[in-house]
Amino acid sequence: MDKRNLQELWEYVLTQVELSISSANFKTWFSNSFIVKIGEDGVVQIGVPSQFFKDWYVKKFNTLLLKIFRDVSYEFRNIEYVIVKDERRKPPKESRSSAAGALSLPLDEFYINKSDNLNPRYTFDTFVIGSFNALAHTAAQAALTRPGIAYNPLFIYGDTGRGKTHLIQAIGNQFKKSYPGRKAFYLTSEKFAVDYTDALQAGTANRFKDRYRQYDLLIMDDIQFLSGKDKTQEELFHLFNALRDTNKQIIFSSDRSPAAIPDIAERLKGRLASGMAVDISEPDTESRMEIVRKKAAAHGFLFSDEVIEHVATVAPGSIRELEGMINYVVCQAQAKGTSPDIAEVRNALRSFAKPAKNVSVKHVVGKVAEFYGIDEESVYEKTRRREVVRPRQVIMFLLREDFNVSYPTIGTKLGGRDHTTVIHSCEKIKKDIVVDTDLAKEIQSIRSILV
Amino acid sequence: MNIIIDKKIFSEAVHIAARFADKKNASLPALSSILIIAGDDGIKMRATNLETGIDLKLAGEMKDEGVVALPALLLQQIASSLSPNGTLSLEHTGDIVSIMSGSGKSSIKTVAYDDFPSIPFPENPKNKIVLPGVLLKNLFTSIASCASPSTIRPELASIYLSIEGGVLTAVATDSFRLAEKKVPLVQKGTQGKFLIPAKNAFDIAAALPDEDIIISFDEHQCAFVSPSGMLVSRLTNAVYPDYRQIIPKESIVEAIVLRKDFEAALRQTTIFSDSFQKVVLHFDPKKGQLALFAKNTDIGESSEALTAKVSGNALDISFNHRYLSAALALTPAESITLMAAGPGRPLVIKGVGDTSLLYLVSPMNQ
Repeated sequence: MDKRNLQELWEYVLTQVELSISSANFKTWFSNSFIVKIGEDGVVQIGVPSQFFKDWYVKKFNTLLLKIFRDVSYEFRNIEYVIVKDERRKPPKESRSSAAGALSLPLDEFYINKSDNLNPRYTFDTFVIGSFNALAHTAAQAALTRPGIAYNPLFIYGDTGRGKTHLIQAIGNQFKKSYPGRKAFYLTSEKFAVDYTDALQAGTANRFKDRYRQYDLLIMDDIQFLSGKDKTQEELFHLFNALRDTNKQIIFSSDRSPAAIPDIAERLKGRLASGMAVDISEPDTESRMEIVRKKAAAHGFLFSDEVIEHVATVAPGSIRELEGMINYVVCQAQAKGTSPDIAEVRNALRSFAKPAKNVSVKHVVGKVAEFYGIDEESVYEKTRRREVVRPRQVIMFLLREDFNVSYPTIGTKLGGRDHTTVIHSCEKIKKDIVVDTDLAKEIQSIRSILV
Repeated sequence: MNIIIDKKIFSEAVHIAARFADKKNASLPALSSILIIAGDDGIKMRATNLETGIDLKLAGEMKDEGVVALPALLLQQIASSLSPNGTLSLEHTGDIVSIMSGSGKSSIKTVAYDDFPSIPFPENPKNKIVLPGVLLKNLFTSIASCASPSTIRPELASIYLSIEGGVLTAVATDSFRLAEKKVPLVQKGTQGKFLIPAKNAFDIAAALPDEDIIISFDEHQCAFVSPSGMLVSRLTNAVYPDYRQIIPKESIVEAIVLRKDFEAALRQTTIFSDSFQKVVLHFDPKKGQLALFAKNTDIGESSEALTAKVSGNALDISFNHRYLSAALALTPAESITLMAAGPGRPLVIKGVGDTSLLYLVSPMNQ
């Protein structure tokens, strides 16, 4: 008998056990157990199905088993019992017939690793790189090659649906692969806040601190939701310091730059921006087409080039919306069983095409003037009073950014100004937003009024 | 051992405890019996099938201490035949237990009790929540039926319970439909999640009293403790899918119907459903109707149109009718909302005014 062959060893042990106990007992207690491993230190680990078994083994069979193991060799010093995962003792396959015909819910795609919260679906293989996210991708790779040293923290921002979550989760998954043994953890800032308040209420704040400090890579998504939560911010601040002092990599994502997040303590804000902050801008058409191609291929469909182009261009919007359209087309294709042609796709996607946002310049002027408490008329006048200049620039910026009105049109509508003036104003606001959080907040609230 | 117990208390306890004894797989006689203990803690009944276990306290008079194991099936038969009034006494001498009630006397051979396993209690019960037994019973019985009956994938044959932010969320799915129910908790602060096998949840629900229950759990098992006793179950040791991802975020058509209309129409049309139990739902926003249609080539066909508040695009989508009617058992709401996200995508069912329930059902191939 080979002492190192676990199966052979266990079979030998079983034959010995069978001789010592009643066959009813043997069948009940030993049909589902096995040796998990034998440690370097001579401790044998036996896998059992539940606590019932563990307790009973310790109470009734420990001496017997130890004696049998010792008879084989004195190397075996002790026995430990572990409760093994259900997957490891799968029963033989049954056929399932109860729900013939029904499509099953796509649960398989959503198994998340509990210990690190990472979704294995997000990897670099499925990540489409284009000019819009090349910088973010490079930064991510650099953070992966020299974690904790290259860029710490790595701060990735961009509008919703640009692939931030995909990128940061891919970093986590790649980190696990490259550095087995090190711990990665992903969570959203909201989860962090909930965890923290729960820990406070349960009086286990210290355990909370220890738990988060053990990770080698901490990824926190949607950090902007911490705005206004002072206590949680403070906790994050301390956590940040603790992790960074020990060269643990930290990755954040947000929908705006660190400086533009409202209601975040200054000291935290400074730290967020202290590593590398990169943004993911809007994907260009080529990248969108590439995304459509990859996603469709993942579903097992090959779309013709014109279908891809149509899907990619029919509605501007986030990648998430793009995915929605792809799923819709794929779904229809699955129902029909053929690859869709352009006419069908055009028809199917009609509902997704957004009507262009129409807005009267007067409406925007009215709302903004009201917001700043100035006279609406003064916006159109050629005055350079300070209280009027800023709102006027904001109006121009909003008309350009949100409603896509052309520079010359904006100029004409706002009292016959030159288009270069308009361009200058838009650029100025764009620049100021980044550094001036009050302005960013103002624009945020004006936007919410305008919707 | 010599004890005197009220007949009613005795027979109720036997019926509850017998559920936890292993009656089919009787290789070890101790597992198919009930252990009766008269000791320092009073009179107790214990039973286990190594998946779940029960430790039940009984009110009664104890004349002499002792421990004895008796076949569960036999005790169950005796308990069912007892007249409801009066008391009975159990007396243990040698390997015989005599049960005497009134003028009758039966003698039962005991089972060797040293093979009776100990019932484990979570070692480190720092994770604790308190919930009224009525609520928990209701939650388990309603949701456990949505779990998968097959144990190929142990996580789907279980109920997923997660405690976070002062809310207990219970989820079960058999990969064709999914039910999620939320229950607010009185005391906040605890958090955690575990998977309890649906079969065990059923048994536990049947045995729980209506009073407040303390639920404690660790990595491998959970316990339900009340003044009248303790129940334990092993937990499924597997990863649960992130089910929230499959819940459609938006819908293309939404219909609100009266529950009783929908129930009646469903009952009517299912008579004509085929061997796949298929029923077609037709959302018609123009007429303000939700129509149900079923066709069986051997019998005939049937359609029912319900007045409904429909908003969105017209849509035809088919389902297994059993999965549709199962949703009705999960909410007491008078009206229900059906939200479809498009062909081939799951349908969401909610009760109007009932935020605790979310039911998701996958359509059938057209």
